[in-house]
Amino acid sequence: MTFHEIADTLYTTPISTWLRETAGIIPTTQSVHILAIAVVVGSALVTDLRLAGVLAIDETPQTVVGRYLPWMWAAIAVLLATGAIMAVGEPNRVLTNFLFWTKMILVVLAFCLTLLFRYPFLHPQFQVEHPRWAALAKPVAWVSLLVWIAVIFCGRWIAYAI
Amino acid sequence: MTWSGFLQALYGSAVGSGIRESGVLFPWIESIHVLMATTVVGTIAIVDLRLIGYPSHRRGARQLILDLLPFTWAAFALAATTGSLLFTSNALGYAANAQFISKMVVLVLAGINMAVFHATAYQRIGQWDDALPTPLGARIAGATSLILWIVIVFLGRWIGFTMQ
Repeated sequence: MTFHEIADTLYTTPISTWLRETAGIIPTTQSVHILAIAVVVGSALVTDLRLAGVLAIDETPQTVVGRYLPWMWAAIAVLLATGAIMAVGEPNRVLTNFLFWTKMILVVLAFCLTLLFRYPFLHPQFQVEHPRWAALAKPVAWVSLLVWIAVIFCGRWIAYAI
Repeated sequence: MTWSGFLQALYGSAVGSGIRESGVLFPWIESIHVLMATTVVGTIAIVDLRLIGYPSHRRGARQLILDLLPFTWAAFALAATTGSLLFTSNALGYAANAQFISKMVVLVLAGINMAVFHATAYQRIGQWDDALPTPLGARIAGATSLILWIVIVFLGRWIGFTMQ
């Protein structure tokens, strides 16, 4: 089954029709999606710039990560939920879209970077001084920030690349 | 020059017609606008939550504000610039759009709220910098700002669904 066939099948389901044809659902979902992006951007900006050694360097990475990571997880959950509503409501605009799948790959990449380079900080015995890890921390912080920016660009371009 | 004459001139300008007639300029400018708008809202929300009383990565509210304000202002400047360029491409349409007009009004309200905060509670920040809960003035300013910026995001996204 191709993505086109899946999208066509999904399009004819009652839930897809309902989401698409009920006035206000898609714009509201997109607005909530953008607000959740703002939470990710704010959290990623402060966390990544701290780990890159640019911002709030007199605070420990543990403090900064511990403050923003829960918000990031919550925002990602909201993004997945609102994204799913958009994909079900307008499957032919999303599932068959090259930029959508590029975005999904980048999201998985950003998620893995967060899991590998942010999440360990929450463990009380975690040591930043491990040399291999420490050498990677700064470049990964910049890469993580760039990946999130690319995700946002792909997201906006989905609307133009049907 | 009348208001509608001004809008007409913007619409007909090289910048306006250039963005309108190019297939890719509008999405590129719009993407930067979304990135900058989310940076503005994301960094403001961190400060607003601290003003409401939710602890931040900084113990002191003043240092948090000083940390994040340059990012907020730089992103706001770029969001306003890209927003103006998008407006130019269809000046008459945006100027007649209820969501666009509402968004501009709410942006002004957010600016007034910020100015009031800086003229009042922020003047005494030395007294409450590290204190939690925060004083009533700071809590009101933070909650008002958060609500206004959420409304701005909604109105901004809604413009795209209501433009002629």
